[in-house]
This record gives sequence, structure tokens and C-alpha cells, in this order.
Amino acid sequence: METIAVIFGGRSAEHDVSIVTALASIIKPLELTKKYRVEAVYIAKDGAWYWDEKLKDIKLFTSGGIQDYLHRTQPTSVQFDGGMTLVKASGIAGRKQTRRIDIAFPAMHGTYGEDGALMGLLDMAGIPYVGCGLSASAIAMDKVLAKEVATANDIPVSKFMTFTKAELERQPGEAVKNIVKTLGYPLFVKPAHLGSSIGISQVRNDTELRHGLEVAAHYDDRVIVEEAIPNLIEVTLPIMGNDRPKPAMLEQPMTKPEDFFDFDTKYLQGGKKGKGKGGSKGSKGAQGYSKIPAEVPEEVYVRAEAIGVAIYKAFGCSGVARVDMLIDEKTKRIYFNEINPLPGDLYAHNWNRAGVSNVELVQKLVGYAKERHTQRQALTTTFSTNYLQQF
Amino acid sequence: MIHELASIYLLSYPTVLVYMLQSTEYQVKPYLKWVWRTKNFTAVNQRRDLDRTKAARLLLLALRLGILLQIAAGVWLIYLGLYSDLTGGVLFGAALMLSYPIIWAHLAVIPLVLGRWFISAPAEQQQIAAAERVFAAHGAVKIAVAGSYGKTTMKEILNTVLGEGLDVAATPANKNVSISHANFAKNLTGKEDVLIIEYGEGAPGDVARFTRLTHPTHAVITGVVPAHLDRYKTLQAAGQDIFSVAGKLKGKQVYVNDESPDSQPFIKKSYQRFSGKTALGWKISRIKTGLDGTGFVMKKGKDSLKLHSGLVGKHQVGFLALAAALAIELGLTHDQVKAGIAKTEPFEHRMQPYQLGGAWIVDDTYNGNLEGLRAGTELLKAVEAKRKIYVTPGLVDQGEETEAVHLKAGKLIASAKPDLVVLMQNSVTDFIQRGLKAGRFKGELQIETNPLEFYTNLQHFVASGDLVVMQNDWTDNYA
Repeated sequence: METIAVIFGGRSAEHDVSIVTALASIIKPLELTKKYRVEAVYIAKDGAWYWDEKLKDIKLFTSGGIQDYLHRTQPTSVQFDGGMTLVKASGIAGRKQTRRIDIAFPAMHGTYGEDGALMGLLDMAGIPYVGCGLSASAIAMDKVLAKEVATANDIPVSKFMTFTKAELERQPGEAVKNIVKTLGYPLFVKPAHLGSSIGISQVRNDTELRHGLEVAAHYDDRVIVEEAIPNLIEVTLPIMGNDRPKPAMLEQPMTKPEDFFDFDTKYLQGGKKGKGKGGSKGSKGAQGYSKIPAEVPEEVYVRAEAIGVAIYKAFGCSGVARVDMLIDEKTKRIYFNEINPLPGDLYAHNWNRAGVSNVELVQKLVGYAKERHTQRQALTTTFSTNYLQQF
Repeated sequence: MIHELASIYLLSYPTVLVYMLQSTEYQVKPYLKWVWRTKNFTAVNQRRDLDRTKAARLLLLALRLGILLQIAAGVWLIYLGLYSDLTGGVLFGAALMLSYPIIWAHLAVIPLVLGRWFISAPAEQQQIAAAERVFAAHGAVKIAVAGSYGKTTMKEILNTVLGEGLDVAATPANKNVSISHANFAKNLTGKEDVLIIEYGEGAPGDVARFTRLTHPTHAVITGVVPAHLDRYKTLQAAGQDIFSVAGKLKGKQVYVNDESPDSQPFIKKSYQRFSGKTALGWKISRIKTGLDGTGFVMKKGKDSLKLHSGLVGKHQVGFLALAAALAIELGLTHDQVKAGIAKTEPFEHRMQPYQLGGAWIVDDTYNGNLEGLRAGTELLKAVEAKRKIYVTPGLVDQGEETEAVHLKAGKLIASAKPDLVVLMQNSVTDFIQRGLKAGRFKGELQIETNPLEFYTNLQHFVASGDLVVMQNDWTDNYA
């Protein structure tokens, strides 16, 4: 039986979202397949790793018992021994308990996880892992780079400007002046590297803009400011696969024009904020806030699907990702907004609507991970030279 | 092996024994058979825990006290053996201390046997005798509902439809043995127009006994299939017992489900047959069934009735038509019949459809016979779905017919062409698999080792567009 390590938590603002993704959408379905030994690997907010059966219990986290657990538990070591092995003290006569990992299933959102950092580590370990690789993850998590990749592939994006945290601290007034002159209101201000809509503000005047920049710079060292698309319909499309990616269903967040897709709307209010009519078609996923399928004309739906898949391929994504797009309802123009290389809860609710059960979803993703790993193993990355003999 | 042996010395062991007694309804034979085949007593409670009723608490207390006394006696004997030179004291004491799980697993049934012989049986006999007088004197139309399957459904349909225009009383839920009938009689006012009495046969002579007790004026026989064959031994014996309800009734007051192949040898010419095609002279047509219910038209001469029920499955049409036709014979208007049929809804765990995410689940886990299984597979064939899933652990109490019945079951399942079949790992799984193979099943087969885990996590296995038919569920004592 293969051993899968589900890695979650992490040094990210989306630490808590990651816990829910791992426990509800990955570990449980993986265990139900009865095909794998599933190990829960939790990365605490301080970056220490823990491996324990107890970490599969959501109550440990919801009750706050995790603090006590961390206080009395030795962190786990990770051994890179031509693969990856977890090592921890067993508590019996100082003996070590080890577990060799065959496949990793990252369930990390945001920094030090979804941004390619963890993928780099797993690449170094040389084991198959679920989801996008290092480069796709790194580009996807950088909203600025992502827009540049989209533009290079002739996919429209909304106008934007970027600033470093240092620039904003040095000349905040200048930045505001430039933004207003170039883009005008209303605007969106976002940290360049965070997901789950953390630190995002919609601003309509200078005061809100200053505050928005301050909030975004609090979370990230790079800030992106984007013009708001008029007559906006936000849609999102989960996609899975390696060479032949398959889209799930185009999903439409149920937000009013004055609202936007912030963390609170997504995760804390269960979609209540801005929830309009048409609840009968709304889907209650982890975020429970959207219409599936999106209520857009068929031609727009098909085009959005094609753009989503094109973006997925352009970024070199593999395994799974979610492409967010913006539609101008009047002009029917579709803009690429961002790409999420590890969607919260894997967007299982959307895959369910597309006819893929939770158990099938995780099995397919593990299959894609192994397929990509096999392809990479076939590549030659070293060769013999007489370089050293010259010295 | 060590783990299994250790399980009988755990503190939870007495609770497990009482749970086993409770789950077998305090019947000695099934309890003892279960105890004897159980290897690991920590794995017994899979489905639920002990319901701490007064009887269960008393029994548990008695067991614990008995075990404590035996252990104390063992310790005392060892002490005497060590310090008072009692010959064999240590050996006998140790034997007493080690043997208590086996001894008390068997001693536990003694209060039940004694209680049944000396207390409950005489009291029940008195109650039943009083009930017999109530039924004999009652002037209502007394409809007995007998058969190997569909009894509760038939009874509920009759109750709902006839209740639209008459004062009807029916035995509650699946309370269908003599003592339940006696309890039912106690609550009758004597003014009812119709009594509906369900007969829950389980062993030879049961139906004849129920008939003597309840004095039916009419009988509905829902069908005969292999069931309770552990007691009846043969289908012939089961059929004879079920049809004994017809006994002294006039043939015209005996209604037999003509769609039951195994009933055919027992049907006399004078009996009235009913089916999805005809019932008491009414012709049935335009049957439509889906997950929202079943619709059909009944015609007799110039009379026509367009009916719709919430019950799911074509196999329900015969039962519904019989109820409608009987209602008209008993004086109900067409509107009352229509309203009554419209009120019939799926009963819990009996062809009960519900949505889970975007998937349709048909919960028929209470079903436990081949005809019910046929109805489930017919539904699977009839309803459109992106993916069709069939789930069953198989059937229980099939006696010597177990292998043959499950081979048939496998073929039936295969004929519905499900995309996925989920079987629960147990003693009949191989037979169903062979049936599937014989039926040239080409879909995916999944065998679950932990049924409870599968049922409680069903939402993880299904997706939008799926149709899942779940038939039968084995309680712990069958697992």
C-alpha cells in the first residue's frame, strides 16, 4: 500500500483554510479509497512540522487543543534519503518512528506552500506530488507575473499597476497620485502573492485607496492595483489534468456589484454577504456562495471555458488549478483575473456538480501526480563530463 | 489471535453481551449462535451501541455482579490453595478466574428463559386470549396483510387510502406478531369501520396462529419469496403458512399479488388476483414512474381514475390499484380515492428517494428479499442518470437457498447495467459476484469491508447526476 503524506497548515495567512482543505476534502476521501496509507503532516505557524494520527481530527484545531498539542509534542524531522522519510520520536525508549513517503499531497494555500516553495522541496526529494509544479505555482501565486504571462498569450487582463512595499512606504502620496491619474476609480488593491482574497480591498476614493495600499502592504512586499471591470460578472473555473486538462463547471460567485469576493464572504459568512436571488441554483461548497453553472450566455460560457484551459496550459499547470475570470456583461469581453494552483477544498463542490465524487477527485489527482513524476523521471538531468579531471 | 482472546477480558465485555442479546431481541438461539461465531468482541458494536433500557440495565448489573462474584471466588480459592493447603485450590481458582467470559456469556440467557417461561409467556397468553375475544366481537372489515415482502407498504397504503372516508385502525409500524396484535386490540374503540392487521411470519404456523387470533374478514397476500428459510426450511413451507390466512375466508375476499411468481402454486381459482395490469376488474394503463412518484390510470366500464402516488417504482402500482379498487367497493368516492393515493409517500428506508448533493439516492435499506431487489433493479433501469450505482450487502435468512438466491440477485443486478456495484464483504459476497459474472456485468465492482463507514460517508462517493439504489442493510448480528 502506498503512503501519501497530506501536508497542510503552513506559514501563511491561509493556514486555517488549509486545515479544512486537508482534513475535509483530502484526507477523508483518500482514506475512504482504502488504497493508501494516509499520513497527516501539519506545518505549524512557526514552520515546525508535525506528523501524527491525531492531526486528522478537526476537533483538535476547532477546540484550540492544537496549542496544547504543539506545546507537548516534538516536531517531526524530514529525511531526504533518495526520497522522503518522516522521522519522529516514538515515545518508547527513545526509539525513532519513521515513515517513508511515496506521494505527497500538498494542501497548502498561500505563502511557503502554494507559491512553489513546498513544491521545490518535494522536487528535491524526488517524489511525486499532487498539483502544479514549482514554476507554475510560483508564477500563479504572483498576480503581477500571472498577468504578464496572460498578456504574452494574448489573453486580456484588466489594467494594473504594481508597487513594492518600500515604494509605498517611501512615497505613499506619489503612488496614490499616479494610480488615480493612470487607472481612475473604482479600483481593487491586492497583495501580489496571497490567495483566498486575503488583504484585498475595493476602493472608490483617495482615503480608501491609501488604506487599501496599507492593508495590502501589511501582508505582502508587493502590491497590485487593478482597474475595476464595469458590468462585472466574476466567474471561476476549476480545471484538472496534465497534458489534456479537463474543466469542471463555470461557477459564478453570488455577489452584488458593491461587494466583492473577499475572505469574509468566501469562508466566514457562508455566502450570505451579497447573496442575491436564484438561491435554487446556488451551490453550497466549502464557501457556499455561488451559482453552478454560471448564468452567462452559452457562447460566453464556452469561450470562458476555452480561455480557462488556455491559461492552465500557458502557465504549465498540472494536477489541478482554478482560473478566475472577469466578464464585462455588456461587451461580453472576458478578462483573466488570477489563477489559483491549489484551490481551497479542491473546489470539490464544483467537481461534484461536474460528476466527479470526492473519492474520485483525490484518486484522479494522485494519478496525475504519478503520471507527471514518471514523465519527469524519464528526462535526463545529469550527464558525465571530464570537467573535474581538469583540476 | 491474542487481540481476539483479550477482547473477552475487557471491561466492556458484559456490555457487548447485553448488546448482542438486545440486538437479537433476547432470543436465545440467535444470540448463542452469534456468540459462538464471534472471534473478536471489540468488533461487535459496529452499527450502534447498547440501548440502555430498564431490562438491559438490569441484565448488565446481574452480569457484572455475577462476574465479580466468580472472580472473587477464584481469588479466594487461589488464596486457600496457597496459604491453607487446599488441594487444587490454585488450579481451580485460576480456572474460575479465566473461564468467567465463557460461563457468563451462557448464563446470561438463563434469566431470559426462566422469565419467558414463568412470567412473560403466561402474561402474554392471557393478553392474547383477551385480544382474540375483542377481534371476534368487532364488526369492522378486518383486513389481514400477509406475505414475505411489501406487507408494511401494503398496510400503509390501505390505511392512507381507506382513511380518506372511513374510520380505519392499523397495526403500528412493523409491529406484526401476536403480542403486537394483542396490544393493538387493547386500543380499539369498537367503532372502527376497518381494521388492518399486518402478519409478520417468521416460522411455520405463525400465520395460522395470527389468523386464529384476529378473525380476518379479508386477506391481502403481497407475495412469496425465499425469506426466513432458516426457520421454514423450504419455500413451500413458507408459502403454505402465508396462504393459511385464506383459511375459512370466502375466495372473493382473498386478494393475491399476481406478480409474485412463487405465489402461483398456492393461488386457488376463487381468489382475486391483482397486479400492475388489473385489480378487482379495473384495468390499469399509462404507468409512469420516476423519482417523484408513480402515476397510472384505472378504468372499469365507463369509470376512469387518474392517480398519482409519491411511492417510487412500478412494482407499487398493483398495491395502489388494489387499495383504490377496495376503497371504491367500500363506498369511497373517486375524489377521496384520488386524494388518498396522492397522500401515499415513501416510507422510511423503503424505496425512499432523497438528494445528496446533486445525486439521487434511493434508500431501500429496509428491504430484504429478492422481489424487492428486483423492484430496485427495475427502477435503476427505468430512471435516467449520468452514472448508476447499486449498493447491497445481500439478503439474510435465506437458509439453504442462500447460494441460489444470491446468484439470482447477482444476475438481476447485472441486468440493470449499473456503472458501479458496491457490495459489502460478507458470507454472500462471492455468490453475488458469481451472479454478476454470469449476468455478464461489465461495470466497476467495489467491495467494502466497513459498510457503516461507506453509508456514513456516502457523500464522498457520489456526485451530481448519480443515481444510487441502496438495498438492504445487515445489522451487527448478521455481519
